[in-house]
Amino acid sequence: MDQEATPPVTDLYAARADAPAVPSAFSAALPYLALLVVGLLFPLFGGGYWGVIATRACVYWVLVSGLNLVVGFAGQIAIGWGALLTLGAYTTSVLAAGNVLPALPPYLALAIAAVVGAVFGLIVGLPALRLRTFYFAITTLGFANIVTQVALAWQSVTGGGVGVPGPVFPEPFSSQWGFYYFCFALAAICTWMTANIVKSRFGRALTAIRDAEVAAEASGIAKPRLLGTVFLFAGAVAAIAGGLFASLQSYITPDAFTLDLSVLFFIAILIGGRSSILGPLLGTILLTVLPEFSAPLVAWSTFLYAVLLLVIVLAIPGGIAELLDFRNRRPLKSNRAILPRPDLVARLLDAAPETLTLTLDQVALSFGGVRAIDGLDLEIRPGQVHGLIGPNGSGKTTTLNVISGYYAPQRGAVRLNGEALPALAQAARAHMRITRTFPTPRIVGSASVLENVMIGGTIDGRGTFVESLLSLPRHRRDEQTLRDTAMLALTAVGLERLAPVRADRLQHAELRFIEIARGLMLRPKFLLLDEPAAGLSAEEITRLATLLMAIARAGTGVLLVEHHPDLIFDICHQVTVLNLGKRLAAGTPAEIRSHREVVDAYLGG
Amino acid sequence: MPISAADPLLDVTGLSSGYGKIRVLTGVDMTIRAGEVVALLGPNGAGKTTLLRAVSGLLPWSGRVHFAGHDLAGFGPRDTVKCGLAHVVEGHRVFTQLSVADNLMLAAYDLRRTERAPRVEEVFALFPEIAAKRSESAAWLSGGQQQILAVAQGLIRRPRLLMLDEPSAGLSPVLVDRALDVVQRLREGGTAVLLVEQLIEKALALADRVYALAHGSIVLEAKTSEADLPHRLEHAYMTGGNR
Amino acid sequence: MVTSIVLSGTAMGCIYALIAVTYNVMFSASRVFSFTAGTLGMLGGVLGSLFITRMGLPVAAGFLLALAGGALLGIVTEIVAVRPVLKSLDQHLYVLSTLALALMVQQFTAIEWSTEPLPFPRLLDIARTEFDQQFWLPMLACAAVIVGIELLYRHTMIGHAFLAIAEDNYAARALGLPERRLRLTSFALAGSIGALAGFAGGEMLLAFFANAPMLTFYGFVPVALGGMGNNRGAVVGGLLLGLFQQSANFLVGGIFASVAVFTVFIIVLLARPNGLVGSALQRRV
Repeated sequence: MDQEATPPVTDLYAARADAPAVPSAFSAALPYLALLVVGLLFPLFGGGYWGVIATRACVYWVLVSGLNLVVGFAGQIAIGWGALLTLGAYTTSVLAAGNVLPALPPYLALAIAAVVGAVFGLIVGLPALRLRTFYFAITTLGFANIVTQVALAWQSVTGGGVGVPGPVFPEPFSSQWGFYYFCFALAAICTWMTANIVKSRFGRALTAIRDAEVAAEASGIAKPRLLGTVFLFAGAVAAIAGGLFASLQSYITPDAFTLDLSVLFFIAILIGGRSSILGPLLGTILLTVLPEFSAPLVAWSTFLYAVLLLVIVLAIPGGIAELLDFRNRRPLKSNRAILPRPDLVARLLDAAPETLTLTLDQVALSFGGVRAIDGLDLEIRPGQVHGLIGPNGSGKTTTLNVISGYYAPQRGAVRLNGEALPALAQAARAHMRITRTFPTPRIVGSASVLENVMIGGTIDGRGTFVESLLSLPRHRRDEQTLRDTAMLALTAVGLERLAPVRADRLQHAELRFIEIARGLMLRPKFLLLDEPAAGLSAEEITRLATLLMAIARAGTGVLLVEHHPDLIFDICHQVTVLNLGKRLAAGTPAEIRSHREVVDAYLGG
Repeated sequence: MPISAADPLLDVTGLSSGYGKIRVLTGVDMTIRAGEVVALLGPNGAGKTTLLRAVSGLLPWSGRVHFAGHDLAGFGPRDTVKCGLAHVVEGHRVFTQLSVADNLMLAAYDLRRTERAPRVEEVFALFPEIAAKRSESAAWLSGGQQQILAVAQGLIRRPRLLMLDEPSAGLSPVLVDRALDVVQRLREGGTAVLLVEQLIEKALALADRVYALAHGSIVLEAKTSEADLPHRLEHAYMTGGNR
Repeated sequence: MVTSIVLSGTAMGCIYALIAVTYNVMFSASRVFSFTAGTLGMLGGVLGSLFITRMGLPVAAGFLLALAGGALLGIVTEIVAVRPVLKSLDQHLYVLSTLALALMVQQFTAIEWSTEPLPFPRLLDIARTEFDQQFWLPMLACAAVIVGIELLYRHTMIGHAFLAIAEDNYAARALGLPERRLRLTSFALAGSIGALAGFAGGEMLLAFFANAPMLTFYGFVPVALGGMGNNRGAVVGGLLLGLFQQSANFLVGGIFASVAVFTVFIIVLLARPNGLVGSALQRRV
C-alpha cells in the first residue's frame, strides 16, 4: 500500500489530508499570549476585590509552576509541598520585620527565603528516591503538619498564634495594582522558565523517570541528581511564593497555612494534567477563582476540589490538558507500515575500534538456592550480531540483566576490553555506550514519538539546567542537535511519519522500533536486545532483521536474546545456547542448528 | 478409545488474546473430546500459557470458545470452574500460609459446606502422599508434592477437563515422573486433560493427540500414534511455524 | 507521672495500631494503601458522638451503628476509589483517588458536624479511676481485634480465602475464588476496624474532623515500621510510637514532641524502607 520511499506527513492521518500534522510554534503559544494580554489588561476591568483574587492566583501559580515539575513531570506525589509556602512566608516576614536580626530590605529577605526554600525542598523531596510512592506522600504530609506546628510554637521568632506582619515591598509595588503587576511578572517569568525546562532534555528526562524508569536508566539518566535539581528549584519558587503571599495577606498567622492550601496546589496540577504547563496553569486559576463566585462555595471549596480530583482520576486521568489536546484525537490510519532505512544507520553511528569487546568472564549468580547463571563465558564483538538462546529458565534474561548492570555477579565479572564494569550501575552503562531494550517496550506514553527518541540522547547534551531554565544559546543548540539526530534515528527505523504523535497511540510493533531508535541515539558500541521479536508479525521481523544487520555493519556489537528461530538463524554471526545457566554450545548458526544436544534441550528429554 | 460423533467437550475457534497491546495468540483452533489427553507443545513464547489463561477466563479474549455446551464468552475463572473446567497454573503454586487440607478446602469454597469435607477426602484418596501430610503447612512440601497438591486442588470440583500448565517445570526427573503419573490416573478416571509440557517425549507418551503452537497459532495437529511425529515437531519448531 | 505516660502512651499506641491494621487489611486485599484509614478513625469518634450524645441512642446501638458506618465507608472506598484504578496501567492512581475520597469525607464532616472538637460520651457508667476506661477501652479494642483477626485468618474459610488472595492473587483467581467479593468484604472489615479505633479512643481523641489527617499519618507509622501487611508488626510499632510520643510530650512539650517523632520516623524509614522487619523489593526488569 505505502510504496513511496518518503511518504508525506499528511499520509498518516485517515482523514483531512490537507491539514498540517505539526502545529506551528505560534499556535502552541497562543493560549499563553491570550492569558498574558488578559493579565496585563486586567486592572482596567477588574475591581479591587478581584484584584486581590487575581494577585493570589499569580502567587499560587508561582508555587505551582515549580511543583508542577515535581508532581506533574517527575511524578512524585508531594502532597505536603505547602509547607514550603509556610517556610517562605515566615522567613521573608521575619527577616523583613526584624524580629531576630535587624530588618532586611524585602527583596533581600525574599532572596534568602528562596535559598531556605531550596534547601528544604531538597530535604523534603529526597526521601522520594528511597521510599515507595505512598510512603513518600505520607512523609510530605507529616512535614507540612510539623512546619505549621513549629510556626505556632516558636513564639519568639514567628509570633506564635499572634503572627507576624508580612513584608511590604517598596514603590512601585506597594500599591494594590503595583503589587499585582509584580506578582504577575514573576508568574510570567516562572511560566517561561518552566516551559523552557519542559522543552529541554531535563524535562523529557523527568517524564522518563516517571513513566519508564528502567528506560531512563538505560539512557544514562541519573535520577538522584535530576530530582535533586528539580526539588531545589521547586522549593525556591515555593518560598518566593510564600513571601509574596505574606505580603498579600499583610499579616500572617499559622492558620493561614492549612492542609487545604497544600492540597489545593496539588490538585490544581492533577486537574490540569501531567506533562503540561497550560493545564495546571488553568487549573490554578480555576481553583483560585471558583470559590469566589458564591459564599457557600468558599466553605465547600476543598470538598469541591476533592470531588474534581476524584472525577479526573476516574474519568479523565489526563486532566484539562487531555481535553485540550485536539491534535492527538485525529484518527490515525490503521495499516501503517514500518519501513526502515538501513542506509541511514551508518550515518547515525560511529564505528567502534576493532579491539573493543564485551565479555563475560566466568560469571555466576544465584537467586535463593537456584543457580541462575553458573560460570558463563561470553564474548560480544563489535560489528557482529551475537544470539543468545535457550529454553525458559536457562538464564538468558538474567545474563542480559547482569551485563546491563541490574544484577551483580556473585562470581566473575563483565568486562569491557578487559576492564571489569562496575556492578549495579545501570545508568553508567550508557556513558560507556552500552544500552539495551526491554521485553515490553518502556516508553513515555504521554510524550510524542520524537520526544521519546530524544530521551535517548539526554546524556550528550552540553547545557546545564540553568541554561535551559533561561533558554540560553547552548540549550537551544542542544535542542536543535537532539531533534535532528532523533529525526534521523526515526527515519532510519522507518517511523519518521509518526514523530509528532503521542506514543501511547502506537501499535506494539512500532513501540519496539522506537525503543531501538532511542537506543541508537547513544551511538552505542554495544546494543543489547531483550526479545525484540515478541509480538511482531513475520513481515515486521524481516524488517527488524535488516535493521539489526545494518546496525552491526556500522560497527556496533549486538547481543540478541531471542526465542524466534528465524531471527537467530538468519542474522546472527555467532550463537550461544544456554541451558540451566551454563553454556551448552556456541558457534555459528549452522553449527548450532545441527547440534544434537541443542535440539534435545529445546525439545526436552 | 473410540471417538464418538458427539460434540467435542472443548471447542475453540479463532481464539485471539494477549496482554494489553501485545497480541500473543492469533486465530487458534482446538478441540478436545471427553476423556482425551491432549498435549499442547511449542517453543517458549509461543503462547501456550496464554491459551490456557484465555480459556479459563483469566485473560480477555476474542473468538469462540464452547465448553460442555456453554459459551464461555465473558466468563471469569469462577464461572469456568463451575462449568467443570479446572486450570492448574504454572509454577506449582499453593498457599503456603495454609495447611495441605486447608488448601484443598479452599478449592471447595463454592461448594456447600456439607460437601466440602467429603470431597477433600475423595481427593486425598487419590493422592496418599499428600494425604499423609494433611495437617502440615503447604510451605513444607517438596516441589513435587506441591505440584501434586495443586493438581489435587484442581480435582476437587470434579472437572470434566483439567488443564495442566507445565507440571514438570522446576522438578527433578524423579518428581517429574510422579507428577505426570497423575495424568495417567486421570485419564483412567475419565477426566479429559489438556497438558502443556516442555518435555516432549514424556508428553507424547501420555497423550492421545497433540497440538503444536508457535508464534501464536497452531502449526501442527496430529494423533500421537502417527509416524514421524518427533521429526515433524522439530521441523515445526525450528522453522518457526512455516510448514 | 510514669504511670500517666505508660497509660496514655499505650492507649494511643493501641489506637494507632488499629488504624495500622485498617491499612494492612485493605493492603492485603488489594495491594494498595488507602488514605481513608485515618478518616475511618475520625468517623468512629464523630459517629459515636452523633448517635449517642446528639441523638440519644443507647451506647450499644451507637457502637454498632458507628461500626456499620465504618464498614460502609470501607465498601465505598473499594468500589469508588480502589476497584476502578486497579486495572489502570498507571500504578499510582490509587493514591489520588483514595486521597480525594478521604478529603471529601473529612470536609463534609467539618462542615456538617463541626470544625471544633466536640465531646465524646462516656461509654461505661463507672467512676473515673487512674486506670480509666478512656485508657483500657482502646487497649481492649486492640486486643480484641488482633485476636479476632488471628482467629478469622486461622480458623475460618473466609479468613483462609483472605490469606490466599493476599499471598497469590493469580493462583487464587485461577482456583475460582470470588476475588472481587472477598476484596469488598475485606474493605468492609477494615472499615469497621478503623471506626472501632475512633470509637474506643473517642474520649481521648474527641469527635473532631481534624483527627483524620492526624490518624492518617500516625496510623501509617506502624505500617511503615512493622512491614506492609504485617499486623503483629503494626501492633508493636503502634505501641512504640504511642509510648515514644507521650514520653516526648511530657519531657519536651507537645510541638517538639511531634518534631521528634517525625524526625525519628523519617530516619528509620530512610534506613529501612521496608520497615524494621523488611521484605523483598520487586523485580523491575
